[in-house]
Amino acid sequence: MARVGVFVCFCGANIADFVDVPKVIEETKKIREVKYAIEYKYMCSDPGQQMIRDAIVQQKLTSVVVAACSPRMHEKTFRKALSDAGMNPYLLEVANIREHSSWVHQKDKKAATDKAADLIRMAVAKSIANEQLHEISVPVTKRALVIGGGIAGIQAALDIADARIPVTLIEKSPSIGGRMAQLDETFPTLDCSQCILTPKMVDVASHPYIELIPYSEVIELTGYVGNYKAKIRKKASYVNFSNCTGCGACWLKCPVKVPNEYNMNIDKRKAIYTPFPQAVPNKPVIDAEHCTMLLKGKCGICAKVCEKGAIDFKMQDEVIEREIGAVVIATGYDLWDPKPYEEYGVGRFKDIITSLEFERMVSANGPSGGLPLRPSDGKVPKNVVFIKCIGSRDESKGIEYCSKICCMYTAKHVVLLHHKVHDSHAYVFYMDIRAAGKGYEEFVKKAQVDTAATYLRGRVSKIYKKGDKLMVRGEDAQIGQVVEVEADLVVLATAITAPKDNPALARLLGVSYDKYGFMSEAHPKLRPVETAKAGIFLAGCTQAPKDIPDTVAQASACAAKVCGLFAGDTMKKDPMISKVNTEFCSGCLNCIQVCPYQAIVEEEIPMGHGSKEMRTVSKINEGVCQGCGSCVAICRSMAISLAGFTDPQIINEIVAI
Amino acid sequence: MKKLTYFPGCSAHGTSEEFDHTLKLVMKTLDVELEDIPDWNCCGATSAHVMTETLALALPLRNLVLAEQLESKTMGIACASCYSRMKMTKVQMDGNLDLAKKINSTIIQEGNYKGTVDVKSMLQFCYEDIGLETIRSKVTKKLSGLKVACYYGCLLTRPKAITQFDSPEYPMSMDRIMEALGAEAVEFDYKTECCGASFSISNTDVVLSLSGKILEVAKESGAHLIVVACPLCQSNLDMRQPDIVKISGWKYTIPILYFTQLMALAFGFPREDLRLNKNIVPAEDALSNIGKIQETPQKVIKTKKAVAAAESEVE
Repeated sequence: MARVGVFVCFCGANIADFVDVPKVIEETKKIREVKYAIEYKYMCSDPGQQMIRDAIVQQKLTSVVVAACSPRMHEKTFRKALSDAGMNPYLLEVANIREHSSWVHQKDKKAATDKAADLIRMAVAKSIANEQLHEISVPVTKRALVIGGGIAGIQAALDIADARIPVTLIEKSPSIGGRMAQLDETFPTLDCSQCILTPKMVDVASHPYIELIPYSEVIELTGYVGNYKAKIRKKASYVNFSNCTGCGACWLKCPVKVPNEYNMNIDKRKAIYTPFPQAVPNKPVIDAEHCTMLLKGKCGICAKVCEKGAIDFKMQDEVIEREIGAVVIATGYDLWDPKPYEEYGVGRFKDIITSLEFERMVSANGPSGGLPLRPSDGKVPKNVVFIKCIGSRDESKGIEYCSKICCMYTAKHVVLLHHKVHDSHAYVFYMDIRAAGKGYEEFVKKAQVDTAATYLRGRVSKIYKKGDKLMVRGEDAQIGQVVEVEADLVVLATAITAPKDNPALARLLGVSYDKYGFMSEAHPKLRPVETAKAGIFLAGCTQAPKDIPDTVAQASACAAKVCGLFAGDTMKKDPMISKVNTEFCSGCLNCIQVCPYQAIVEEEIPMGHGSKEMRTVSKINEGVCQGCGSCVAICRSMAISLAGFTDPQIINEIVAI
Repeated sequence: MKKLTYFPGCSAHGTSEEFDHTLKLVMKTLDVELEDIPDWNCCGATSAHVMTETLALALPLRNLVLAEQLESKTMGIACASCYSRMKMTKVQMDGNLDLAKKINSTIIQEGNYKGTVDVKSMLQFCYEDIGLETIRSKVTKKLSGLKVACYYGCLLTRPKAITQFDSPEYPMSMDRIMEALGAEAVEFDYKTECCGASFSISNTDVVLSLSGKILEVAKESGAHLIVVACPLCQSNLDMRQPDIVKISGWKYTIPILYFTQLMALAFGFPREDLRLNKNIVPAEDALSNIGKIQETPQKVIKTKKAVAAAESEVE
């Protein structure tokens, strides 16, 4: 005979104000199997849990029902209370009388009370059919895959590797470094980006626990948390890295010139190239789209000048496999293309550039040696207009969100302009100045004071040409008038956007992404570094626009999550997963179609005991199954059952009301 | 001969008589027969749509219903305001046939709206339906040597969601037509700025300032004249120009012609047929540039040299 204990929580006033708890207790006590029912102000508190623990022992309970808030909130808390009292934790049922009753029926206390009593009756009935369940142990492959070698990927890889966990770091371009390697100085302290980044890049290359695979991309991910298998395509570099010394003879002699992505296409690189002199690894690759030897079979100069014979035009893409336990996505960001701003003459006026182009110009290792120059005539600009929120916070032309870093980097650009061209003057058109961050507001204030830049609050409506100047017409909302500024150079602070490959990568990895293409976190506040798929984590701008400090913090958080996952030799997993009763399974395999986690596979088993004839049934991989129940619903022969939600449990619940 | 349903609008019979006249010449040359909508009525601009939505929709709707009873499936509209009202009504009605039915049945006795007629400005018709190739083939007197600034105003390409024609900020269709005639269309940043529209009557100073800026930028762009496709733009830029010149103290004027006047000229019609006498700012001087040899354009400075020059300048 079942002996059920029911514990009803007041949740302070949250439940008690709208549900008549003593009445609920009275109704509950009428149920035959309920041997004990009691209320308390905060059941989740230590005295509350103690009541449960004591009752389990003293009343010899066989299952426990807690009527309180949502199980998402405190199911784990109460399960622990059960196991502390020596009871199997899965003999707990939570009746959610807060979200499902008191909060939503605040105007009708009687109805709320009746509904609470019903919910408890159902939970009691279900708990009677509860079975003892045990956590599942899954083995773990202790190697992490980090996708993307920008500052986010670098930091995550280093932190994981420092915990002596092997890391495979893959990067799609020939060198790690990412966007940060393109920056000159970084806000708010103006330390040189290269100086703080390149040592970390070198650390990655020399770390005994990091396997760096540049010029590669992930093409397939199978398996489940702790036991993933990744296929990685190493793009053909046409340079044998083990022979190459990085001497540079090849790219000096290469006759093919290609726009240089690293310098935002301001200057040219060669068809055989390293992205920048501080590249890691500092070995060149051949750009197959432009190399005339690979395209037309003519040239081959690089191979002639290479003393080491490292050039190999016959090299092919190579696919390698790695077994890994966790993945960190750190694919960074792209920049919004300002072409829709036709009223600014974007695309028609050469002297309108984007912020990252300006950044490259003022960079010490930039195409003009750190001096900003007008693209039209190469002159040094004196009046520079910076326009913020290009694409961001613009529902009609761009995207709704705030790109977060543009206020700060524009203030930095104002300072850099002032440093490089002393007699220049900066004008900044802005919507708001969003400088939330340690030392940020102070930085913007100081930039404004030190450079005497003119900050104009308002949008620019038009840019037109007057002689060799650009006339920028906008609103100064603070004086309520239209103003015109004569500019030598206009810099557009274009928004951060998700990398265009993100949706494809997300589908490949089986994680979700938002309408902008940013990877989605499992919970916006409480699980910001995890995806909804166990064992896959997010670092940096791949999730949302963020600055370097936030990116590094999130990358380190990823490392902590990975280390936590790998802390034991096996992983514990909730036992509430599906199971196939092969006796009943007809092998229709509909369950494979509906499973969102690819947890079900075909299996051949003997027709009968000792039989040689085989038949097909489905098999559930308990490491992958998340217990969603889709397969249970689709199974027409009722061969699949979900632990914790078996048919007797559900039927009991229905019968109880 | 191809038929086109023609909606002239009130200005074609008044202030923009030269537009209407030259348009008819041009269309004849292009083998297009213009068929007036019998008993057409006012499009409602600009008063109806600021007063009552029903009236603002009903007035153009009646014209659309009448047009559906004619042979051509396209309505060509001379005036930009008429075009805007008519196209706006069509888009709204096509998206909400219940509303169309309601307005139709309560107000209009001429029949039911079916949505079978497309609405185009005459500029759009020339660019899309006739095409640059055909226009080029009809040119007998090339306008080479003439530099023009094409001014579209606010309504011909906006709002983008309604007009679905050309760029809302930097359109090029009229520029391309001018190039087909042999003229040079200069880069003109003010081609879609507001001329001041009907403030011409209620608050003339606004028009003097806004239209003045358009004239100034056109002149600085090197244009001999401005080409327009909207009667109100034309009248603001042309009729108000003497006042603008007086205030600004300019030593120059810049004539404002309809694109059809230049098309007629290029198609070989004599100057007297262009009705240039209707223009307030005389166009003769500007048109005398036709056939003159152009100056050679300045050579573009090579970037490397420019970089070196800039560096030495800093040093």
